[in-house]
Amino acid sequence: MRSGIDAIRVSDLSISYSTVVEVPNHDGRSWFRKNTRKREIRAVEDVSFNIRSGSAVGLVGGNGAGKSTLLKAIAGVLKPSQGQIDLWGRPHLLAPGMGFNRRLSGRENVILGGLAAGMPMDEVREKQESIIEFADIGGFIDLPTITYSSGMFGRLAFAVATHVDPEILLIDEALSAGDAAFRNRAVEKVKDMCTAAQTIVVVSHSSSLVAEMATEAIWLHRGKIKMSGPVNEVTGAYEEFQKVGSETAQFDRTIAEG
Amino acid sequence: MTAPLTDNTEPPISRRTTTLGLPPLRDYLSEAWRYRTFAWYWSKADIKARNFETVLGRVWHVLNPLLFGLIYFIFVGILSGGLGDAERLALIVGNLYVWMFFSGTITTGVGTIQNASGGLLSQSAIPRVVLPTASAISSINLFLRSLIAYVPIHFLAGRGIHLEMLWIPVLIVITAFFGLGLSLLFAVLNVYVRDVSRLLPHALRLWLYLSPVIWAYTQVLGPSTLETLARINPLYSGMAAWTIAFGGSLDPTGPSIVGLIAVFAAWSVGSLLVGFLIFVAREDEFAVRN
Repeated sequence: MRSGIDAIRVSDLSISYSTVVEVPNHDGRSWFRKNTRKREIRAVEDVSFNIRSGSAVGLVGGNGAGKSTLLKAIAGVLKPSQGQIDLWGRPHLLAPGMGFNRRLSGRENVILGGLAAGMPMDEVREKQESIIEFADIGGFIDLPTITYSSGMFGRLAFAVATHVDPEILLIDEALSAGDAAFRNRAVEKVKDMCTAAQTIVVVSHSSSLVAEMATEAIWLHRGKIKMSGPVNEVTGAYEEFQKVGSETAQFDRTIAEG
Repeated sequence: MTAPLTDNTEPPISRRTTTLGLPPLRDYLSEAWRYRTFAWYWSKADIKARNFETVLGRVWHVLNPLLFGLIYFIFVGILSGGLGDAERLALIVGNLYVWMFFSGTITTGVGTIQNASGGLLSQSAIPRVVLPTASAISSINLFLRSLIAYVPIHFLAGRGIHLEMLWIPVLIVITAFFGLGLSLLFAVLNVYVRDVSRLLPHALRLWLYLSPVIWAYTQVLGPSTLETLARINPLYSGMAAWTIAFGGSLDPTGPSIVGLIAVFAAWSVGSLLVGFLIFVAREDEFAVRN
């Protein structure tokens, strides 16, 4: 395993996008008057950090902190508005079901999903049997996935997503997949992937998931880095912050009600 | 997470935005090229999924354009007061297949962005241009299948084998590029103004009637203003070239196929270039707005 050199280098990164929001209190009487307006959202603002090859880093922060946006930018789903992201190694965002076509059979979707995840055809064919075995959906594999139960579909989708061998593994939040029995296997599979991947970035609301998987953490707050360092220090501070936050809110409510 | 180290080699992957919201185009294109197998497989799957659960399945790829051609043959027959001969049927059917190929490339290309499923826009790093391109490959594939139905009509009409047919492969590429360029443009417009996809079928229907598809290109060779305007239509040169490629020149004093193809190719390359640049500069919006 390489160490001491960067796998991910994020420099002065900002990501903003505009979205259309509905104007509240619009009476809706006019057909032609605009009841929407454009709003610019700055999801990530001027963020810089390096992640060493061989490390596992957690991104923590509340709703709208910009964690997922940042992860998607590293994955290549979103482009930087400003700044730059350099990667030494191919990233893979764990996204079950990506590229699937529900009208096709499970077997065809294994190929389609594998190719969409960036695997070469040889690799997909090589792993096909092992993916099907992991999904454990029996004879359904040759039926259109539209006939699957949501649990079966979830298992197949998860099986494809976790059979990629990325250099940089990107995981966003909950690893929900199927029933309880499968969930344990799913968690084990992701742990295997993490062992195999050189570098891991995991995003979560809960600091416990991050603490379990990461050695270092970055805490994002409203699109900016609030703190970074060893995982225990960062998640400790983040939890403290959340507690104080909820206490303040409680206090505010008491005042307002009183 | 310490100070940047300098011992790293050049990063193999670098993401940034240059002027006008464009990524470095060389990186973008080489990344898109990586997904060529995906595009090919996606296109095969797409064709298969289109006739999902129909009784006749693949036969529809041939039957659908054939029925379309017959309906227009009857329609034109009513308007001109007589059904006409096999030559007219061959002209209408051949041209209509080209039209379905062209308009299909546009509408399904827009559809790949509007109805993208499986998180292809929100979770994948696949350059978005791969999707309309894959759908253009489907359109070429379907067009080639529809030709199966054209061939017997061609010989029934006494249209033999002739030299201009050699232009057909070139015309397929030019037509696909033109359709793809326009689909990229409309896919972007459609993200901002959803009405575009509603308006598109009507605009395309109008374009069909204004172009020499169900009527012959030789009908507007005169000097009048209206006829001159008709010839400015980019599809005039395109459809005239196709008509000649299928059945030979209808008028030896009329425009030459080489000149027509040159004009059509210029439109095609222009639209692809403009469509591509606008699409790539705006493709992030798809993930956010869809």
